[in-house]
Amino acid sequence: MMTALRSAGVALWRTGLARNTWTLGVWLLLSALLLWYATLIPVFGQFQVTSISKNSLPLVYLAIGQAIIVIAGGIDLSLGALLLLTNALAARFMDDQPFAMVLFIAIVLIAGLGILNALVGYIISVSGVPDIVVTLATGYIWSGFALWILPSPGGGTAPEFRWLFTGAQSGIGGTYVMPILMMAVPAILVFLLSRHTRLGLSIYAIGSDSVAARLAGLDVRRAKISSYAIGGAMAALAGLATVALTGTGDPRFSVGANATLNSVAAVVLGGVALVGGTGLVLGAVAAGVILIMLNPILSAMGIDPNNAQIIQGLLIAGVMMVGGLVTLLRERSA
Amino acid sequence: MAVRRGEVHALLGANGAGKSTLVKILAGVHPADHGVVHVDGRPISFQDPMDAMNVGISTVFQDPALIPDLTVRQNLQLSDIDEAAFTPWLTWFELEDLDLDALVRDLPLETLRMVDLGRALARDPQVLLLDEITAALTADQAERVFALLTEWREKGRAAVLITHRLAEVRRICDRATILRDGRNVALFEPNASPDATNGAATGTMFDVDEHDLVEAMLGAEVTELEERNESDSLSPHQPGSRSASDEVAFSVRGLTSGDVVRDVSFELRRGEILGLVALEGQGQERLFSLLSGDRSPSDGEIFVGGRQRRWSAPYDAVGDGVVLIPGDRLLALLPNLPVRQNLVVPLFSRIRQWLGLPADERQRVRNAIDRLSIDTRAASQVRRLSGGNQQKVAIGRWLVAGFRTLLCFDPTRGIDVQTKRETYALLRELAASGAAILLYTSELAEIPLVCDRVLIMHDGRFVEEQDAARATESSLLTAAHGLEVPA
Repeated sequence: MMTALRSAGVALWRTGLARNTWTLGVWLLLSALLLWYATLIPVFGQFQVTSISKNSLPLVYLAIGQAIIVIAGGIDLSLGALLLLTNALAARFMDDQPFAMVLFIAIVLIAGLGILNALVGYIISVSGVPDIVVTLATGYIWSGFALWILPSPGGGTAPEFRWLFTGAQSGIGGTYVMPILMMAVPAILVFLLSRHTRLGLSIYAIGSDSVAARLAGLDVRRAKISSYAIGGAMAALAGLATVALTGTGDPRFSVGANATLNSVAAVVLGGVALVGGTGLVLGAVAAGVILIMLNPILSAMGIDPNNAQIIQGLLIAGVMMVGGLVTLLRERSA
Repeated sequence: MAVRRGEVHALLGANGAGKSTLVKILAGVHPADHGVVHVDGRPISFQDPMDAMNVGISTVFQDPALIPDLTVRQNLQLSDIDEAAFTPWLTWFELEDLDLDALVRDLPLETLRMVDLGRALARDPQVLLLDEITAALTADQAERVFALLTEWREKGRAAVLITHRLAEVRRICDRATILRDGRNVALFEPNASPDATNGAATGTMFDVDEHDLVEAMLGAEVTELEERNESDSLSPHQPGSRSASDEVAFSVRGLTSGDVVRDVSFELRRGEILGLVALEGQGQERLFSLLSGDRSPSDGEIFVGGRQRRWSAPYDAVGDGVVLIPGDRLLALLPNLPVRQNLVVPLFSRIRQWLGLPADERQRVRNAIDRLSIDTRAASQVRRLSGGNQQKVAIGRWLVAGFRTLLCFDPTRGIDVQTKRETYALLRELAASGAAILLYTSELAEIPLVCDRVLIMHDGRFVEEQDAARATESSLLTAAHGLEVPA
């Protein structure tokens, strides 16, 4: 009886691993990079872990949001601009406010951007204009608003709010508990939502085969709009994290544009196929951290930071090719 | 059309008669332009499939409505179906060993049909719509479905069954509605059918001659067409006028691809047009993709001019002079490019022509346009041409490039009568000049007009060969249903 149960458990684990090899692979890559980094520098301790985890927060949040939208069969090129918009709003209105008020503003921003992006999702599903076109356009609009709200870098936030994301009220040093918690809690919540609720499964369903989803009686439009709402809320979290990290607001357009592209890179590297319907949010989380970690690793190796982008591009291309090769070989042997 | 409680109602019709469209309207997928659906006497309007499910109509569509990237369990969860209501049906279908955590993508088609059906049943519907449910099933699985339908009827529930297998209609259906060109043309009832004495006596036995059903699917059109043919310039050619030679241009032996195409052999001679007739989904699409080099067969051999060939891509087949005109015209064409560029595409597989075409080939392009009388008023973008003209461009491209064997997949689908005739005249002309042509068409009436011989495909196999000149629409349709043709 016990052995039967155990072997059933092992079998379940095996299919689970076989089906999510990519996610597992990305996490292994992250662990390997961490170990390597630890040997590269003379001292590896709390400071480095804190620094990597807090600096990854904005990209990880964006990657989670982008992953959900891509899984639903869409793509959102406005996530970086939504990050800028939140960043500008937060820095302007949180300046010199007590912590309670700052928290309230943060919650309003998360909810508000969720609703705002849900509206974008609604426009996409009603108009039939491709996701990439609509979100490209809205991205410019949100960037414009961000500049309008905060014409030049400035503003601020409460020290307690900085502690929430960075583990230190000054934003420097601190413990790694808070940043890791702030990364893990939303990541696990969205992951559970995406795999264990009807809403999450509908999001996978419309990305996998929207005709079959409709025939099966699902509300395709509602699932699409929900994916955009989650994306908007995650972008707001990313914007809040940047305010907490830097202590100010910065509405520069290039920051947002880079953030969008990085979120797409993290999603692809994380094993979420751009055609939709497959992959796990957790893969995008690890890929986001990897992309951020490359910078300190390369500087520890003495490589010019300007060349870091080349390495980043090569890494993405290399991982995708290895992944494609593995899939091809597995299909051949099957 | 009315479906009673406690009956299994067959919905029949030839390809394109509108059966699947009707089912989609009843299931709430498409809105009806006109007309009303009544359920239990109340008019109902459906906005989407959920509405139909809520009034007790459950549908199993032709293509499984299951999400490929999710597991069976997740699919059930999505449709809000209790596993406890679903698993008894799996047991009924003898699938109790099915792993609910398997990905739908990894399951064979017949299992998916049963899962889809089980899910529909788990909703405990009043009306069950089954679109071609038995097409992908093995014989004993189909038996389980029939047993289910018999029990279903006794429970006082209703079912609508779409099928191409007329033997099934005889066995388990109470009444049959025949559709043709989207219209309801005949209703067979036990006491109205020609020899219904048995049927009326038992009250459930549906006893009607299968050949009567076939006649009803074709309807009065048969005679109309025959009349038209007599005045047609393209009358069935006389035996003496045949251009077929004895030289075999293309042949296959034992061609097999999974369960879809099984052990297909034929010889195609120079100057011959060989017709191929099949109902939907009998493996003809797969056969054409094998013959054109798009897919490798799992078994069997392909010979061109007596030499065995192995192709890894259509490029190789084209190199051997075997070219395909696919069923979906836009698939063959580059829709945003002008006619001229579409015509010369195959020439660019020769590298020395990348820089430009020599003068004699420009001439060939002009000749092709003239010969096919392609309407070039909208020549700047092929997608703006009419369907008929697009078809001409698809053919014309191979006139320019040159070929020896032409594979045509339903070339007259959705084009007007005039172009249809031109297309057929062109095919005859090509055959007369020595080409070997394999023609699959869904328009049975046209087989005697164009073809020399005709092969009938059923369930992945060639079941019969007929002399095209003597083939009639009813003899072809009968054979295509896998029935014996009466002498």
